[in-house]
Amino acid sequence: MAHTNNATLIRREIITRLCRLYLEGKLEDIDRIALAMAPRNTLTNGSRCCIHKARAIIKYRIMALLGFNIADETDELESLYSYALRALAGTDQGEGVLTVVGEACTSCVKSNYVVSNLCRGCLASNCMVICPKNAIVMENGQAKIDPLKCVGCGLCKDACPYHTIIYVPIPCEESCPVKAISQNSEGIEQIDYEKCIHCGRCMVACPFGAIMYKSQLISILHKMSKADKPVVAMLAPAVCGQFRASYGQLVTAVKKLGFTDVFEVAQGAELTARHEAEELGHVLESGQQFMATSCCPAWVELTEKHLTQLKPFVSETWTPMRYTAGLVRDKYPDAVVVFIGPCVAKQAEALKYPGVDYVMTFEELGSLMIAKGVDLQVFEAEEEGIVYPERRFAVSSGVLNSVAAYYTGEQIKPLVISGLHKKNMAVLRRLATGKHDWNMIEVMACEGGCLAGPGGVSSPDVARKLFNAQSGVQTEMPAQ
Amino acid sequence: MNKMNGQVEVSICYGTLCFVMGGSEFEIIQDQLPQNIRHLVHVKGMNCPGYCNKQENGKPPFVTINGKLMGEANLQKVISAITEELTNGTYK
Ligand code: FES
Repeated sequence: MAHTNNATLIRREIITRLCRLYLEGKLEDIDRIALAMAPRNTLTNGSRCCIHKARAIIKYRIMALLGFNIADETDELESLYSYALRALAGTDQGEGVLTVVGEACTSCVKSNYVVSNLCRGCLASNCMVICPKNAIVMENGQAKIDPLKCVGCGLCKDACPYHTIIYVPIPCEESCPVKAISQNSEGIEQIDYEKCIHCGRCMVACPFGAIMYKSQLISILHKMSKADKPVVAMLAPAVCGQFRASYGQLVTAVKKLGFTDVFEVAQGAELTARHEAEELGHVLESGQQFMATSCCPAWVELTEKHLTQLKPFVSETWTPMRYTAGLVRDKYPDAVVVFIGPCVAKQAEALKYPGVDYVMTFEELGSLMIAKGVDLQVFEAEEEGIVYPERRFAVSSGVLNSVAAYYTGEQIKPLVISGLHKKNMAVLRRLATGKHDWNMIEVMACEGGCLAGPGGVSSPDVARKLFNAQSGVQTEMPAQ
Repeated sequence: MNKMNGQVEVSICYGTLCFVMGGSEFEIIQDQLPQNIRHLVHVKGMNCPGYCNKQENGKPPFVTINGKLMGEANLQKVISAITEELTNGTYK
């Protein structure tokens, strides 16, 4: 899902600048980032109306990257430096993992239905007559929909004999599997955290980059510079598809960034696979019809908040992140544990369980490498250590295959759900009815698995190619 | 002389800076090139040649096409530059 486009690249540029300022001890210049990125007398991007708006948007992006929920702003004049100091002091940074940059959001469509200029302003005006909300008026000989009144029923579209009324999707709303994002009375999207499962699909879908994840990077850098405790990185299996580097080279690079030690989450994934295989045996023996995987936090949250009838079927086995954190603590009891992956939902998972202190994305890892001048290309290819076959947890169907490898009971009849898009959501809703004979179900919120996570560096096609070339494990094409 | 035999040489910066700032897309450039010109294009990688150190070079990712530098490169831009180079060698 992480596509390389201007929205992602701007985010990476800001993260890099933020890291540089912190590392150079110049955080007080943080309010200048917006000026540097949108200098006077330039219009860097045609899609923004003016320099002031461009700067305001950058400011709010930084606020999110400092870990704050943008909706919590109380004083518009509060400087980013002040936010930065609050972040370093560890003040409460508000709820949710995803947050909306309202300034960027205002550029999007306000209503799902729009009258195109093919409208003839016909005498019959079926659209106006049929509209239950009186949202359509005739202006300059053409019908016009008032977005504040429109409720999106679509009756006008069907009523127009010229087919001039079109449906315009609102990308974030369309992408959300649980209807957690919707417009407020000003037409700006807001996230309902009671419903949000942190899958990050809206963030990827928004063409204006108006949805950001709250970053914990500044706090991680701060812990490193304090140097009173070991700061240990755990690299998620998807890392093998994110950079042009072997796992060994990545470990060297991550240590150069200031991490005391690096653990591979695939090691914890092996424990997950073994335990889940055992659990599957017990569960099926006990007469339960099926069991579902537990490693994707967005999926687990989906069963906690929405498809609650499926919750009892979700495996109780710990996720690879939790097992790996246990391994880290065996070696470094007082470590600051940082999970590095492609996922934004992991941040929410880490909040639920003690053991993992911070979560950062691969894109943040890449940006930090830029800021620190760490270039993977110049490292000698190292001798590969153990290649855990569980690296395939990163790929759709990989968890299932890993569990199957340790499982000894009756035959597995697998179902693989790759991506929480509409079609798969419908399949999941039907699962609880029990009218099927699957007994093991793997669910991943991202199409193709974690390789396509929203916090990745490489787009899904590239990630898959690099993963196949570098991970040392074989993956099969995921069932769609 | 590259033009003479209708070959285009494309060098992609594999440096981490360029890679993270969008260069990762070039991992699939071979599959994205139009069939009819694929055999005329020679794609190779290079370690960071230092383009990223000078502001006047523009923004990453950097690619050279027959030796000519392109900043803020992306698949579409590079492919049209290649086509341009193949037709009349005038890509600037
Ligand atoms: S990293 Fe590409 S030019 Fe330096």
